[in-house]
Amino acid sequence: MPATDNQGSFLNRISIRRNQVVSMDVNHEQELEDLELFQKHVVDRFSDLLTPQPPPPTAADSSPDSALMPADTLLSIAWFRKLLDAFLCCEAEFKAVLIMGRDPTQFAKPPLDRLIPELLDRTVKALDVCNAITHGVELVCHWQKLAQIGVKALEQRPIGEGHVRRAKKALNTLLTSMTFDDKENNSHGGKSTERSWSFGRRGGGASVNKDRTAGTFRSLSWTVAKSWSASKQIQAMSSNLVAPRGGEPTGLALPVYIMSTVLVFVMWALVAAIPCQERTGLATHFPVPRQLVWAQAMIGLQEKIGEEWKKKEKKGTCGLLEEIQRMEKVSQSLVDFADNFQFPAEAEKVEEVAAQVTELAEICQKMDELVPLQQQVREVFHRIVRSRAEVLDVLDQVGKMSTPVLY
Amino acid sequence: METEKDKHLPEKSGSSASRDAEQDNHDQQDPDPNPKLNPDKDHHHQNNATDNSELPTETKPKQESTEEAENKEEETITENIEESPPPPPPPDLGKVSEEIDQFIHALSSIKDQESDLPEVPDVVEQFAFLSEEKVANYDSIESPVKWNQLSEEDSLSFLEVVDRLSKLTASLTVFSSESKYASSINRMGGVLQRAMSYLEDEFRKLLEDPKFPDFDHGNDLKSSNSNQEVDQPTSDAQESNSTVDNNFPGYYEDVVSDLNRLVKVMMTGGFETECYQVYLVSRRHLLEETLHRLGFEKFSIDDVQKMQWEPLEREIDSWNKTFKQCVTVHLTGERKLSEAVFFDYPSITDGLFSSLSRGIMIQLLNFAEAVAMTKRSSEKLFKFLDIYETLRDVIPSMDDLFPKEMVNELKTEASLTRTRLGEAMVCIFCELENAIKADTGKTTVPGGAVHPLTRYTMNYLKYASEYKDSLEQIFKEHQNMERADSTTESDNDYGNNNAQAVGNNQNAVKLSLFAMQINKVMELLDTNLETKSKLYKDIALSSIFMMNNGRYILQKIKGSPEINTLMGSTWSRKRSSDLRNYHKTYQRETWGRLLNCLTHEGLNVNGKVVKPVLKERFKSFNAMFDEIHKMQSMWVVSDEQLQSELRVSISAVVIPAYRSFLARFSQTFTPGRQTEKYVKYQPEDIETHIDELFDGNATPTGKRRP
Repeated sequence: MPATDNQGSFLNRISIRRNQVVSMDVNHEQELEDLELFQKHVVDRFSDLLTPQPPPPTAADSSPDSALMPADTLLSIAWFRKLLDAFLCCEAEFKAVLIMGRDPTQFAKPPLDRLIPELLDRTVKALDVCNAITHGVELVCHWQKLAQIGVKALEQRPIGEGHVRRAKKALNTLLTSMTFDDKENNSHGGKSTERSWSFGRRGGGASVNKDRTAGTFRSLSWTVAKSWSASKQIQAMSSNLVAPRGGEPTGLALPVYIMSTVLVFVMWALVAAIPCQERTGLATHFPVPRQLVWAQAMIGLQEKIGEEWKKKEKKGTCGLLEEIQRMEKVSQSLVDFADNFQFPAEAEKVEEVAAQVTELAEICQKMDELVPLQQQVREVFHRIVRSRAEVLDVLDQVGKMSTPVLY
Repeated sequence: METEKDKHLPEKSGSSASRDAEQDNHDQQDPDPNPKLNPDKDHHHQNNATDNSELPTETKPKQESTEEAENKEEETITENIEESPPPPPPPDLGKVSEEIDQFIHALSSIKDQESDLPEVPDVVEQFAFLSEEKVANYDSIESPVKWNQLSEEDSLSFLEVVDRLSKLTASLTVFSSESKYASSINRMGGVLQRAMSYLEDEFRKLLEDPKFPDFDHGNDLKSSNSNQEVDQPTSDAQESNSTVDNNFPGYYEDVVSDLNRLVKVMMTGGFETECYQVYLVSRRHLLEETLHRLGFEKFSIDDVQKMQWEPLEREIDSWNKTFKQCVTVHLTGERKLSEAVFFDYPSITDGLFSSLSRGIMIQLLNFAEAVAMTKRSSEKLFKFLDIYETLRDVIPSMDDLFPKEMVNELKTEASLTRTRLGEAMVCIFCELENAIKADTGKTTVPGGAVHPLTRYTMNYLKYASEYKDSLEQIFKEHQNMERADSTTESDNDYGNNNAQAVGNNQNAVKLSLFAMQINKVMELLDTNLETKSKLYKDIALSSIFMMNNGRYILQKIKGSPEINTLMGSTWSRKRSSDLRNYHKTYQRETWGRLLNCLTHEGLNVNGKVVKPVLKERFKSFNAMFDEIHKMQSMWVVSDEQLQSELRVSISAVVIPAYRSFLARFSQTFTPGRQTEKYVKYQPEDIETHIDELFDGNATPTGKRRP
């Protein structure tokens, strides 16, 4: 279901509610209803993200017929766009549940007096993740360009040595960049160390690389800040995530918990999929009680992504994004082709390569969606900032934060 | 010798072996002395090649092994004989080039692809051979020719060869389905790729070696007044010679034209993506490095939230400088540079510049955003204002700088950040209000002196009003009306008073929101001070306290034209009259009682002075005056004018009354002992003592005057 519809009808409700005189009873009833609706929508949206399953769970291993996969395969760019849409919708509803028509003094009382600052802290960390992802997407766009060079070169007929070498150089640069240790990449101002990587075809006698066409590796820098670590931030975001105890009336504690879980999940998935500063030790899961109805779909997604991550973690920094995974595979196979190339190529080989080139071209085309994805990440960023400001406003109203001036 | 030759053969025959394998071997062992050519030799070689058409075999300027070269060439020929028609010994490049151009022309004039295509002439292989050799010389592993050391002539001639390669390849590729062209296409494509690969590397190297003239001397980048000087050069700098764009790590003019030539050749050869990416990555790194040099350090938003305010203040200063410079100097320079380097490809420049600057801009804006998110507290107002003003001033200049497709996005980003700051600042004023309300200490300031809260608030407001224009704008644009309403509602007592006071005082003059905010703060302060004044048990002291604070407030406001305008003259008049009232209260409370001792009433009974009563009067006057003196010289009036006003007005009331009282009654006492006993003070003494009041001395030490 399109996200905007939801939001529209939802905003209507808010405005109606704001115009009515809020009596305690109405308020309470409304509260319960909102909460229920909020949970239901979380369930719907995440089930939706879970359902269009790719044929077998090993999406990345079945590259030949990968073109037949549904458009929003798990961890594909399209899937992430859907995920971010879901996040934005959940967030809008959450804010309404939390803020609209609330008695602000609740914020000053347990459990919110503790939960709200924790939530705010989590959102700040999420902002940094958004920024890191923005940088990461830029890097992926760079990869896309390199892959496009490969595509362009190998689309030529007849395939000549020059074309093959050109493609190989670009794809080798791409593959090096994908497997490059991000710590070194991020050493700021370390121009000299970076220089040593710009060996091109003449790396000096010592480093006899397996191939002169290894390409020049000097990729975009994408630091968030010195010693910032995506995995640590995710860790910090999830460490104090505790489900409210059942039994007692939890009030706003539950929506805060749900939203925090959604937030952590989205950020975690982004970090796992898109190149990101310092991901070593990224948790493969964070504890969400299994009995929670609204969390089922999310737990399912988490398990799948966690599995993928365990498989791929050791293999460089490229990330689980479906398009990246396929790009890496196809590129590797094209480089292998280039290694054994002789002019004129056998017709059979040419056909085989043509299929791979088509696939790479198709991946590149899908990657055009990175630009809107990046914008969406930015939208998430701004949304989080704004919501945070609104929550702070409520806190201001409670006056809890005001302290006498120090003169 | 044998192995060397063997290695070289395939290279020359071109179509037989994998280029990579060949190249690898070539790279490692480098059998040919030729690649060791240094640029000078190469120069020499060029001249030979182009000018001495009679000496075709002299194309390799080898002193030590011309023989070997000849041998090799012969072998090449024989090898070729086996495969295809033998090319004659390579003639000179100039002649070959001419023929190649003719061939290209011939190919391009073929309209019907089905018609008879010309056979590939031998000159194509000759050209392949010569150009490959040339490329190999430049692109040698051991001593590659550095582009920036080439003479203009050499670089042009090299580029000419590559350009011809591109064109020939392109012309042949049109007929790629033609099998008789296939091997030539392959051959030319291989040479072209190697040439391009070399050019790509040289392009990168040129880019990675910018001039950092002013950075190295480190002049004025850190000094605070440098902005003007730094900004100046670029604004009127149109030409790009080395003296301009001082702080922009660009390139000398000849390097820029080199870059431009390389771009052209790479573009023509269809290598635009490589060209684009190399440029993008290199410049992006330099831009990041420049920011770093400017003192901008990357912090995560999380880090910024956890930072202490003082270090963060320093980072904000450095951000302000960096941001301004980045936009006015660096991005402007960057844009000009990309326009110069990609001069013939305007459609590329926009995209390139966008990719280059977008990330940087967002990174910079993120810091401002992070600052705006920090916990609001009153002392942060001024740094927030600095950032706010920087953004406000820079945003309009974005229109000229950024391409259309991106300018809206960036302006929106910057405006959002600005809005956050604005909202935060409005909140900071609420914080100030809350802080004033929350200042409910029960301890009084000794001597009725100016309360620290008054000083704090007034200095704060005075300083804030120096940013009057910005704050007016901020309150107008960013005061969330809903919020303002709710605040007024919840603060009924203040809100309404304020509204009324404002309405009455200003006589329907419409106050700006900021002025209203200032008024509100002032009201809160007044209310608070009144409460504080009641903590003094002595009404006179409480009046002195109010006078001190009122006077302080008034002086501050008069001392600052901005805030004076904000508060309006009516307000000042009202404050002055309030002060006079306190003054009167004080006079009455303290000196009224004393003057009661000096009334003539009850002293005269039937025209005669009642001596015991008179004695009593003098005694109580003395005692009372002593007490007042003792007490009130401990009181504090630090404003000199107020102090002297008080003393003058006291003297004016007390001394004439005392003098006339003394004149009228002192002779009643017998001179000597009795007079001395009751008439303790002469009018002059009274004056002296009055002048000792409000000194704030804990122990009155008597006369201080000479």
